[in-house]
Amino acid sequence: MEHELVEKEVARKSALIYLPVSISAALLFLLAASLAGDYPLVAKIGGAVWVGLLSLIVSMPIVTARVKKQGRQG
Amino acid sequence: MTSIAKSLSLPVQGMTCASCVSHVEGALKELPGVSNVVVNLGTNKASLSYDPARVTLADMARAIDDVGYSVPTAELTLDVRGMTLRHGERKSNRQGEPCASCVSHVEDALKELDGVTGAVVNLGLNTARVTYVPGVVSVSAMKRAVREVGYEAQERSEGTDALDRERQAREEEIKRQGRNLLIAGVVGLIVMVGTFYDMLGPFQAFVPEWLSYKWVIGLLTTPIVFGPGRQFFTNSWKGLRHGVTDMNLLYATGIGAAYGIAVINTLFPNAGFGGEGATFFESAALLTAFIILGRWLEALTRGRTSEAIRKLMKLQPKIARVIRGGREEEIPADEVEIDDLILVRPGESIPVDGAVTDGYSAVDESMLTGESLPVEKKTGDNVIGGTLNKTGAFKFTATRVGKDTALAQIIKLVEDAQASKAPIQKLADWVAGHFILGVHVLAVVVFLFWFFFGYQMFFDPNSAFILSPYKLGDIGVFGFSLLLSVTVLVISCPCAVGLATPSAMMAGTGKAAEHGVLFKGAEAIENASKLRTIVFDKTGTLTKGEPSVTDVIENPNFQLPNPNEVLRLAAIAEKNSEHPLGEAIVRGAEAHSLSLAEPDSFNSIPGHGVEAQAEGHAVLLGNRKLMRENKVDFSGLMLEAERLEGEGKTVMFVAVDGQPAGLIAVADTLKEHSAEAVKRLHKLGIETAMITGDNRRTAQAIARQVGLDRVLAEVLPQDKAEEVKKLQSSGKKVAMVGDGVNDAPALAQADVGMAIGSGTDVAKETGDVILIKDDIRDVVVALEVAKATMRKVKENLFWAFVYNTLGIPLGAGLFYPFVSLIISPELAGLFMAISSVSVTLNTLLLKGFKPSMRRDDTSRLGTGESVSRLAPVVAGGD
Repeated sequence: MEHELVEKEVARKSALIYLPVSISAALLFLLAASLAGDYPLVAKIGGAVWVGLLSLIVSMPIVTARVKKQGRQG
Repeated sequence: MTSIAKSLSLPVQGMTCASCVSHVEGALKELPGVSNVVVNLGTNKASLSYDPARVTLADMARAIDDVGYSVPTAELTLDVRGMTLRHGERKSNRQGEPCASCVSHVEDALKELDGVTGAVVNLGLNTARVTYVPGVVSVSAMKRAVREVGYEAQERSEGTDALDRERQAREEEIKRQGRNLLIAGVVGLIVMVGTFYDMLGPFQAFVPEWLSYKWVIGLLTTPIVFGPGRQFFTNSWKGLRHGVTDMNLLYATGIGAAYGIAVINTLFPNAGFGGEGATFFESAALLTAFIILGRWLEALTRGRTSEAIRKLMKLQPKIARVIRGGREEEIPADEVEIDDLILVRPGESIPVDGAVTDGYSAVDESMLTGESLPVEKKTGDNVIGGTLNKTGAFKFTATRVGKDTALAQIIKLVEDAQASKAPIQKLADWVAGHFILGVHVLAVVVFLFWFFFGYQMFFDPNSAFILSPYKLGDIGVFGFSLLLSVTVLVISCPCAVGLATPSAMMAGTGKAAEHGVLFKGAEAIENASKLRTIVFDKTGTLTKGEPSVTDVIENPNFQLPNPNEVLRLAAIAEKNSEHPLGEAIVRGAEAHSLSLAEPDSFNSIPGHGVEAQAEGHAVLLGNRKLMRENKVDFSGLMLEAERLEGEGKTVMFVAVDGQPAGLIAVADTLKEHSAEAVKRLHKLGIETAMITGDNRRTAQAIARQVGLDRVLAEVLPQDKAEEVKKLQSSGKKVAMVGDGVNDAPALAQADVGMAIGSGTDVAKETGDVILIKDDIRDVVVALEVAKATMRKVKENLFWAFVYNTLGIPLGAGLFYPFVSLIISPELAGLFMAISSVSVTLNTLLLKGFKPSMRRDDTSRLGTGESVSRLAPVVAGGD
């Protein structure tokens, strides 16, 4: 039971980090695509979603593992 | 309060790749009280130590489940007898009435066992329903636990053992993936036909037009993605939630992206994602089918690499015929107890280890020792559980039962070796474990490149997929970039890298065990393949360790009635002697079938020899001093005596009736195959050395006979390890082969310690490799198997890395600007499947490996030549 509570807390803390990171990556892509050329809106949005999704996949395990490690040390 | 850490080998289901290994390891290491976690992909097992006071098996199972894998459990019903109120337990019930406290007694006793995850006793039915982890706890352990709390338990139905369970689990996985493949394959094929409807030419007549409608193709693809493909999404999500990524994530992203874009382009063709020209339903469908094809083939072939251990487990006999109270009784073999008297008839397997007390037979031990000829067994000889009785019936007393039998220990050693990791595998696992995230980063880079630069610079509307007539047409910048990004994800799967080492190690340790060589770990195999020098202990390793008669020189001037008369008279004189040299002479005479009468008188002269009256002759046997004191002149034989002593032999002078009759030389003789083993090692380019406490002259005489390169003589037992260290300091990988307690430090110091199976327990516990038979040529077998295994590991890693090295740039579109062709995600999926299967198939080639010595033996056996003597005890010897 305690293990599950700790897991939930880790998941919550991690989400507070990786979600903003992924959204920032998506927004950065959107900004770059808007400034770089004449891309269709759908391509820009699709690209932002794909970049955001891949950023989420990359950042989620890294952040979660780090938060867990910090939790154990703290 | 501190509790003692326990070791556990936990089966894990659902692992398909090296990254899975690191996830399961990570999940278990996070648990408090768990340490030394090693997960092996080949055996699908996690070996670990744990503190039962801090963590339970259920905690471990939950942690594994949390990261997307599972610990398989099985259920079993025990009939429990005696659950009635007993004397002293009486409260309100009468004795003999059902007892409620029995329930908790039995349940608690079962739950306390490692490997039992649940136990529910039904008092009405007198049964206990036990949920347990197969392979961790045995049914006999459950019955014993129930018996210890005062009840009797019997398995209700024919139980299946760990081996059956394991096979069952593998068969279920094959069935599950086979079912998935059937659905994904058949429906995927229909999707492909529908997609390429316009290109069917004359075959169009056989295909209804509606099959080419995008929404129909979408409807057909959906059940593939959410049916057979569902496993990838659920497993990767489970992992992501706990901060881990694995191969499933690559598939899920690839399939999900292809399917998602296809749905958008079908429902909203004008959304700008490439429209109807970029509906990649067939990519999603076929990608799923190919990935599942890979998993199915992997499940089919992976089990075969561990066939050796299965063969060993199958040897464990189920039934023993025990004689109790003068009556024969058939009982389960795992219930035999030490000192039980067991009867074995011709054609039956020997149920446990023991010593023959009555009868004579020949026993086939080839399954454990690799020895092809049956070994004769008579009263006093040891027999090994799991071997096959061939000709006669005999009785024996059980000396080792259950997990202490030689066979059980061999199985444990092989399992432990297969669960361990070679240094090369640790590197491969680390690479594969970190690879997934790297691939996702690469997928972002590829997408950004093609989105911002590549598409504008290189896109050609006439470009197509490799091996496909499908043109990319008016695909937009997003669709094109996404396609390449997804292909990179799929083609980068490091499955083959993850399988390369463990599959070969499993096959190698199994193959070695088949030939009587037990590697205790994968590291031992890796080190053995790099050996440059092998140091042998002398006594008991290269030599028999007991003196024998080597030469008999008869005085030509002394007339004796029969040949071998000197040896015969000397043996009669020594018949009652307990001196090792005297015993050697008696054995020597017996070996020549000489008849030995009792001496008329016998007198031992300490430090000199013996004097005896034999068949009317006065026989004197001893050293020079004895002859000098008795005024017997041996000057005519002195040159011969000195020559023999120069060869490191002990010379005994024999005088009959006061005349010099001859000389008998005794020495510790070489084992039958020592010289051959050294010769074969030289052929492999290995330097050989001998280490001994003997004087240099004796040591060099032995070394000359064997053909050794170096002799380390006059080395005190405590200095043996230091000598090995000196050899290592020159940068060579050194193995030490020994059998005695005094060899243990050197065995530990060497890069590979090889212990002879007939040697001491200490040597066997210290050694990295155990040679089951008393045949020194198995050192060569160990080296050849190790080299073959490492060759296979390197081949596998080479092909796995070649696949990824070539596949990733191809998938990323590196060559697209020159050829206007790209790899479709489904083709990438097929390549990925082929790479894992090819690695496993390459490993399976090891099954045909035969050590050079065995090949030669086979041809010699054809001519009727004999094979070597077997060690009396295989493992854990006396």
